[in-house]
Amino acid sequence: MRYEVTLDDRRVRVELGDHGRFTVDDRAVAASVRETVRGRQWSITLAGESHEITVVTHDPLRLDVDGNDVRATVIDERALRANRGAAGTRTGRIELRAPMPGLLKAVHVKEGDHVVADAPLATLEAMKMENELLAPSAGRIAKVRATAGAKVEAGAVLIVIASE
Amino acid sequence: MRAADAAYAIGPAAPRESYLNAARIIEVARRSGATAIHPGYGFLSENADFAQAVAEAGLVFVGPPAAVQRLLGEKTAARRLARVAEVPVAEGTEPLTDVAAARVAAANIGYPVLLKPAGGGGGKGMRMVRKEDELETAWRAATGEATTAFGQPALYIERAIWNARHIEMQILADNTGNVVWLGERDCSVQRRHQKLIEETPGPSVGDGLREELGAAAVRIARAAKYENAGTVEFLVGGDQHFYFLEVNTRLQVEHPITEMVTGLDLVALQLRIAGGEPLPFAQADVVRSGAAIECRITAEDPRAGFLPASGVIALVREPAGPGVRVDSALYAGMTVPTEYDPLLAKVIAYGRDRIEAIARMRRALEEMRVSGVPTSLAFHRSALFHQDFVTGRYDTGFIEHWDARIAPELSAGATSAAALAAVLATRARGERHTLPPADAPWARAAREDALR
Repeated sequence: MRYEVTLDDRRVRVELGDHGRFTVDDRAVAASVRETVRGRQWSITLAGESHEITVVTHDPLRLDVDGNDVRATVIDERALRANRGAAGTRTGRIELRAPMPGLLKAVHVKEGDHVVADAPLATLEAMKMENELLAPSAGRIAKVRATAGAKVEAGAVLIVIASE
Repeated sequence: MRAADAAYAIGPAAPRESYLNAARIIEVARRSGATAIHPGYGFLSENADFAQAVAEAGLVFVGPPAAVQRLLGEKTAARRLARVAEVPVAEGTEPLTDVAAARVAAANIGYPVLLKPAGGGGGKGMRMVRKEDELETAWRAATGEATTAFGQPALYIERAIWNARHIEMQILADNTGNVVWLGERDCSVQRRHQKLIEETPGPSVGDGLREELGAAAVRIARAAKYENAGTVEFLVGGDQHFYFLEVNTRLQVEHPITEMVTGLDLVALQLRIAGGEPLPFAQADVVRSGAAIECRITAEDPRAGFLPASGVIALVREPAGPGVRVDSALYAGMTVPTEYDPLLAKVIAYGRDRIEAIARMRRALEEMRVSGVPTSLAFHRSALFHQDFVTGRYDTGFIEHWDARIAPELSAGATSAAALAAVLATRARGERHTLPPADAPWARAAREDALR
């Protein structure tokens, strides 16, 4: 199976073959791979260098690479093919989602309001802090899906903006 | 809880029903046979009503008495006290209750200004306002936070001091009038007015300034009839002029660095003082040697504006070795809750001098691993290499100038290894949802290798 991996702004092609062989950017790599914590941490030695990679979070994928924080994405060839058709279709609807679970203290806009980018839309209290949630882009408030005083889960859609 | 001899449930996770429930805590203390309560540095450590309730229940409160807390907890009263003790304070107002009054006061003082809760400190609910049109949003957020944190919405306005350093002085006072200062901590590396790195001695603090800050802190403590451990916070401008900020009437999160350079156990001294013993040493006996740094590892993502994160810790590896101390609550399987501060662990490094302390801290941070939530480690690791930190020429603007977008430089080997691990991690995750292909060749290869 072939994969396209991004590590921050770098793109790397990885192919996992039979018998534990793999290639990186089409070059065969001789490595010893040890899974030191199941599904979470690998000790990988290649060309005499030892590297330790730890999964910080799965979704989105964040890696600790020898003490460096790296954002990663992995797309396999099937998904890659499926995605190509869908790319470029932007709906013009931008969702403001709760970045973490918390208490929605206030909603500062109502449906129909026009907002500029970075305008405060709502206040979310989490971890003893009030966090102002800002408009990701300019537009018209198409939907307000949450009310002040409500407990919200991470990822819940709070407000939908129609870009203009 | 794992380190405790006994544990009593005090209620559900919501702070109001547990850690802020004074009656419940006192009841548990009675039931357990405890004679004193140490409030730690969290919820009730600066709550005068709690200190009073503890005393009225016939128990000892480990900290300053209620009257002292009440006086210093009202931040504008504390500023008046500092003026009487001939300690400089930054220009500011009395408590304000509406945004219109704030607008007038801010215009008089001149932007930028700070909005601060009158009812309590520690940076909670504090907002920097750079220009007038930011005032209303900031006011709304700050009064809300002040109400949540301290039960009162009143704010006061203080002139913001640019390029300032946040320097605080540790004091100890016993019940017989002895007051000593133990040394300063530079806590300028802050984000949202919450500290992320502290160090002692302050790299910008000379012997003269240190003596002045120590003497000023002692004057304030005496004027307030202070008892037990406390911290007097100052802002020091680029011109070395200093201004009183507030007194934290409790043990600070960053107290270990003072312990490292003085060799004193501050918690043990707190207990002795609370038990009525006099301080076992005088000012002249306090000897500081070496340098110490603390990094507060928090569940915040430095590459996403330090957004707090919650989740389940999957694995932890804490650093160790000479001169390295870790005060931590972390364990694999722990859920990082949303109800409390995002502080996960404190990594403290000591060295004979600042250079050695920095070297040890870099090594300690590189060794540390946390899996399950994004942490501030990425920030701390890069900060310890940042030129402004290394040279000691940093101020409270440090994090604002820190560029979170800088992607780390990986060697070709690390890149290959990381790409492979990314694929394996993604596949491992997929397998938990489907049936594991037991004979995946790469997995077999890894196993065979492990058996070698």
